[in-house]
Amino acid sequence: MAGSSPPPGPVPIAELMRGLASVAESRAAFTEVKSLSALTVPLTSSGTLYYRRPSYFEKDTMTPAQERLVVDGSRLTLIEGSDSPRVIELGSEPALRAVIDAIRGTLSGDATLLSRSYRLDVAGGLGSWQLTLTPIEAPVAALVRQVVVQGNGTAVRAVRTIQANGDESRMTLAP
Amino acid sequence: LIPSRSARVHPTVQTRARPIVLIFAVAVLTTTLVLSCVTVRTDMTDFLPPGHTEATRLMLRELRTGAAASLIILAVEGAPVDELARISRAMTERLAHDDAFSVVNNGDALMASDARDVLFRYRYLLSDPTPFSVAALHQDLERLLAGLRSSASPLVARFGLADPTGAFLTVARQWSGSADVRSVDGVWFAPDRDRALIVARTRAGTVDLEGQERIDLAIRQAFTAAEPGGARLVASGPAVFARDAAVAMRGDVTLLSILSSVLLAGLLLWRFRSAWIVLVVGIPVMLGIAAAALIVQILFGFVHGVAIGFGVTTLGVTLDYPVLLVGHRKRGEAPPATVRRIGQAFALAVISAALGLTGMLFTGFPGLAQLGCFSAIGILVAAAVTRFALPRVIASAELAPVATVSIDNLERLEQVRHGRVWAAALCVAATVYLLVFGGPRWSRDLTALSPVPARTLALDAELRRELGAPDTGLIGLVRGDSPEAVLRQEESLLPTLDALRVQGAIAGAELAARFLPSTTTQRARQAALPDPATLSAALREAAEGMPYRAGAFQPFVDDVGASRTLAPLTPTSIKTGLIAARLAPLLFSWNDQWYGLIAPDDPRQPDRFADALRGAGAASVNIADELNMIVADHTALAWRWYALGLVAALLLIAAALRAPGRVAAVGVALAAAQLFTVTILTLLGTALSLIHIVSLQFVAGVGLDYALFFARRQLDQEERARTLWTLLTCNAMTVLTFGVLIFCRTPVLRQIGATVVIGAVAALIFAFLFAGPLPARAGKTA
Repeated sequence: MAGSSPPPGPVPIAELMRGLASVAESRAAFTEVKSLSALTVPLTSSGTLYYRRPSYFEKDTMTPAQERLVVDGSRLTLIEGSDSPRVIELGSEPALRAVIDAIRGTLSGDATLLSRSYRLDVAGGLGSWQLTLTPIEAPVAALVRQVVVQGNGTAVRAVRTIQANGDESRMTLAP
Repeated sequence: LIPSRSARVHPTVQTRARPIVLIFAVAVLTTTLVLSCVTVRTDMTDFLPPGHTEATRLMLRELRTGAAASLIILAVEGAPVDELARISRAMTERLAHDDAFSVVNNGDALMASDARDVLFRYRYLLSDPTPFSVAALHQDLERLLAGLRSSASPLVARFGLADPTGAFLTVARQWSGSADVRSVDGVWFAPDRDRALIVARTRAGTVDLEGQERIDLAIRQAFTAAEPGGARLVASGPAVFARDAAVAMRGDVTLLSILSSVLLAGLLLWRFRSAWIVLVVGIPVMLGIAAAALIVQILFGFVHGVAIGFGVTTLGVTLDYPVLLVGHRKRGEAPPATVRRIGQAFALAVISAALGLTGMLFTGFPGLAQLGCFSAIGILVAAAVTRFALPRVIASAELAPVATVSIDNLERLEQVRHGRVWAAALCVAATVYLLVFGGPRWSRDLTALSPVPARTLALDAELRRELGAPDTGLIGLVRGDSPEAVLRQEESLLPTLDALRVQGAIAGAELAARFLPSTTTQRARQAALPDPATLSAALREAAEGMPYRAGAFQPFVDDVGASRTLAPLTPTSIKTGLIAARLAPLLFSWNDQWYGLIAPDDPRQPDRFADALRGAGAASVNIADELNMIVADHTALAWRWYALGLVAALLLIAAALRAPGRVAAVGVALAAAQLFTVTILTLLGTALSLIHIVSLQFVAGVGLDYALFFARRQLDQEERARTLWTLLTCNAMTVLTFGVLIFCRTPVLRQIGATVVIGAVAALIFAFLFAGPLPARAGKTA
């Protein structure tokens, strides 16, 4: 699909989402680079990401420290090292849920879910696209200024998250 | 004992009954009006004596308006966790805006308000001092860096840079109170089940039933507004108990009063063959209740619910008065003739019963004083109405009994009196039994009087345990001239309390000094805070080798610098509602003194807690013990006054009758009935409490009626038959009305029912045997 000649102009959102929604399961190695205003150097971490339709999402960080983040339905579990898990019910944290849904909604191709909290802008063609999510409501904007997702076809390649204070995280994915 | 069928109701009875209807209507109106005007209070502490020592007075204040009394625990269960958390938030949000509550907290409410800003600003004065040494800061910065690497980095960056030592987290945990409770995303949950917990404190002064019902309604509305779906709401706390008890009691009383009214009306109709008698019987008791409630309201400023409840019970005796009048009337007789025959016995019975009740006025027990006053006034007024208003009315309606015992039956029955020796022997046996087994059992427990079912109390205990909320039983007290003095004393107690916790004597303790240090301590902490230059230098050194940008911790340095000159937080300077509400139950002023409360959590070894506090110069009070002691003391006093009241009644009778034999007969009949009732109750394993004093007083009242009427002089057979038949009617009325109480849910009412039924039957039998004249032996009469 990536090889076929793309139609001129930006890819329609519906078409992009249909493609993403066809993915039942995916696994990728990730490298995350965080640029924080408090730090002089970027923080780099790496591990694997796992996604299963429609709402299971797992981020396993291997280096430099072990961490496991699982979002299953409306429950978020964060396990850092050997600490006891921290559980957050997303149902009672609408803003945090919206941030999580930016990733999950993109992976599952759920345009309805995404447009509930974000303005969607698509650039590029189906072969190489860029989806920019800008929060509509203030509570979400207080957590995240913008999320930019890049991909080829049905595969997500990079996620860039810009915090309200300018801190930035850039995650690149390799199959 | 077969009623004759010959008597017919007079044909013109309806026109002549108009006065009855009129007086009855007036009685109903008066009673309704008075009862709707008086102030009724239902708080148990209003019923109790004011307390003789400062500690007990303070404790009663605590019970009325203190930490335990104002606490309501709400639990939501029966739905998925995130749904429960949502309902918890919605309810908390709504209730927090209700004026009836001073604080509503479901875990993060305190931290989601402007209170958070205050606590954040004061974090370095309110938390244990950190050395701000290079080594300690180095560790903090490493922890912070790890946090920034984690997926939670946005949150870490938000608070961590201004507070790398984590002082605010410590402060927040201390102020939110229940550090040990399971928190799911900031919402409190029971540790071992999916049950969301909310703590609400009602504003002081909502002790009346009306206020409690309003609070209950607000809670229910908040629950419904949260669209709970299948979730259930469980509520617990004094306000909820009072309402539940009132509802249960109201249900009981409504059902039972309908049932007993029907039974009573049936009996009266059968006995007097006239519907008017039912109205006549109701008139004196209603006017008696109205007058009694009015006088008590004037004398005391309010009427206690318990005094009304028990008072109306005692006034049940006045139902007999019109029956005694009508029962002794010969058909066609003019009013003065009937009154002449029964006047003396009636007056004596009434005045001695009222005299017997006045003893309660001197027990020093506000509730009992009210009850004594209520009953005595009610009896006198009801009797006056019967004596002065009813005779004419009864005569004009031509009310009279339709049948009496036949003379043959009467004489055969009176022969039974020769068996009074056996009855006397029975009384001696009862006395010996009571003496040998150490007398009747006395109840020392206030809960014997409480209408709250045991099941409800168990639920309350469970919720308190799940929340780690302090028990209401045991408290420590610290007193001082100022909040500062109290807080300093409490601070000196902290090591002792920590030691007790480590040793397992208590699971923890709630006290103000735990989260609000004294001004002295806050100033000491301020003095130990480094100046900005020193802190910046230490931070630079601590951050050596770490990738922090220069100036990353400027918010931290600025805040520590500002903390050095903050005016310390004191109870009087706290303006934020939620913080003040959190503090109020634990640190308050009363009578120009400041008091600090220390509430132990799960005191497994209460004695060690009490000893340790006393050893450290603080007081400790076991509320339940103390309260039961007050009740026991005053109950003993009430028993003495009850006995004295009986003696006074007998002295009055002796003075009026001037016939030693008859006085002795009445006295023996009365004493035998009381003794017999107490013995039966003891045999049944009942512990005697205030309820039984009230019931026995009622029994004494009807017993006096019975004995004095049997003991009248020079009666012909016809009159004796009328008396026997009338007293049987009175007794049947008592047994019917109080018998139904045995079937109700409220334990207090069941006890009253059983005692009165046993006592009234005993009173009639003993009065018949002892008070009536002994007939000649059956063989000797012609």
